[in-house]
Amino acid sequence: MKTQLNTNTPKTKVEKEPALKGTLASVLFLGFFLIFTWVSVYFLFLNRL
Amino acid sequence: MMNGTWKVDARDGKLAMAHIYVAFVALALGGLAGLLQVLVRSGKFELPAGISYYTILTTHGVLLGLVLTTFFIIGFQFAAVSRTAGTLSDRVRFWGWVGFWLMTIGTAITAFYILIGEASVLYTFYAPLQAHAGFYIGLTLVVVGSWVSGFAMFAHYAKWKKAHPGQVSPLLTFMSVVNMVLWLVCSLGVAATVLFQLIPWSLGYVDRINVLVSRTLFWYFGHPLVYFWLLPAYMIWYAIIPKIIGGKMFSDSLARMSFILFLIFSIPVGFHHQLVEPGIDPAWKYLQVVLTFMVVIPSLMTAFSMFATFEMYGRSKGATGLFGWLRKLPWNDARFFAPFIGMLFFIPAGAGGLVNASHQLNQVVHNTIWVTGHFHLTLATTVVLTFFGAAYWLIPHLTGRVMTKAMNRLAIIQTIVWSIGMIFMSSAMHFAGLLGAPRRSAFSTYGDAPQALEWIPYQIAQAVGGTILFIGIILVLIIVTNLAFFAPKGETEFPVAEVAEQAERTPLVFENWKLWIGIAVVLILIAYTVPFIDMIQNAPPGSKGFKLW
Repeated sequence: MKTQLNTNTPKTKVEKEPALKGTLASVLFLGFFLIFTWVSVYFLFLNRL
Repeated sequence: MMNGTWKVDARDGKLAMAHIYVAFVALALGGLAGLLQVLVRSGKFELPAGISYYTILTTHGVLLGLVLTTFFIIGFQFAAVSRTAGTLSDRVRFWGWVGFWLMTIGTAITAFYILIGEASVLYTFYAPLQAHAGFYIGLTLVVVGSWVSGFAMFAHYAKWKKAHPGQVSPLLTFMSVVNMVLWLVCSLGVAATVLFQLIPWSLGYVDRINVLVSRTLFWYFGHPLVYFWLLPAYMIWYAIIPKIIGGKMFSDSLARMSFILFLIFSIPVGFHHQLVEPGIDPAWKYLQVVLTFMVVIPSLMTAFSMFATFEMYGRSKGATGLFGWLRKLPWNDARFFAPFIGMLFFIPAGAGGLVNASHQLNQVVHNTIWVTGHFHLTLATTVVLTFFGAAYWLIPHLTGRVMTKAMNRLAIIQTIVWSIGMIFMSSAMHFAGLLGAPRRSAFSTYGDAPQALEWIPYQIAQAVGGTILFIGIILVLIIVTNLAFFAPKGETEFPVAEVAEQAERTPLVFENWKLWIGIAVVLILIAYTVPFIDMIQNAPPGSKGFKLW
């Protein structure tokens, strides 16, 4: 006997998250730039000790 | 409420425009002073008639750092609260005018004493440099005027809340209130040093001044001052730009959260301007450096939110690929283009800020022209280009005119000119700073010291960049004059963005002012109480005033 599917159960509304791949790449680049600048000046500091 | 056809009441528009006129007059005069400064520092030009470099340096800093910003911000915010929370009441508008006149009279008094050469103390005051008392009294009027306007905005917000119990306030009104609370709390510091230290000392009632206390009170004010400039730019980015590009806001809650974080974390951080100052225990400097880095969080939240707004819009227009959405943005609309370029400049500006705030790295750049290069990226590009972009719709909205295509094209050119000028000037300042070139100093080869001779090519690049920037100032003044007096009559929209459908509902907790102001006050007390007591209890005899110009 086939299992009877309960068709009365209300379906949960699945909201589609917006695709934000470009945003992820952009903020990663931003983070990389911040770290790169900081490390560059840090090495300058070490160099001048 | 968020209907795009809503118009700011003509009487409120007049109040906002009064502020904007003063702001752009300050831009013209302060910009001219800036041009003279970079020319002097190139070593190829000397000021005529015995005018001091430090007089024009003070003129530049006060007019652009304090007057242009404060007037534009208060004018813009009056327009924004009128647009989003309804027309101002007669009483609120009256107090808005009282605030405007106090600030204007104060500016005139201050400018007078600077221009007659009695107040070349730079916009950071820097005791033991001592100005004529009129300089400090004029600036006191500017600050008091801004408080009056701030309370007028609070009253308007309170009236809206009373009429809409249990509802979330309009975003631009909420943001204006946060910014004025921030301003009020931080300007108590500068008011304290001016009223209790600088004025009695400059009038001769007391002989000596506690320099460290004065500088600490100034920087308690001076760093959040940067956020007072920046938050209105963020208002435009979060709540207006999405509408201009035809998209929606990524999240109302995220915008409010970032503003609350700025309110909490941008004040107890002034010590990162005093990292090489003797007399402050390193542990307290460390604590304030940690708090300074907390401000990175709302800044990165803003960056994420802006990228997301742009990408969501581009993808809704069919953009594909990782960065295809960039092509869908309205590049030929100056209302978008100018602020967007401002956002891009905020990336190197933020990176430089992290360097400034780190204790060891600060020793590389402290008091060098790197710092000047840094705030010409933050204030003079990110903030100012965003304000210019806002002026391109705000002024015609308030004056009942429309921007012509020719003016829009000129505004795009203006933005490009500004960017080129700033790349030359600010990059040269950053590099010269890394080589040790000092800020706040006229041209000198320091007895032909080899190190000082290394700076000269960079100083010439600064002069080239500064000259291009001055052309940018002339262009923006042409556009603003056109929009205020000559553009064709018509209706221009005051754009206010709607929130994206998938965004979460905004919780009311963001308007629990007792909670947020309470946290801010507790953090301020933790960060400042012990070191401040130490500064007073273990103070040296204090300093007499100096007039070195």
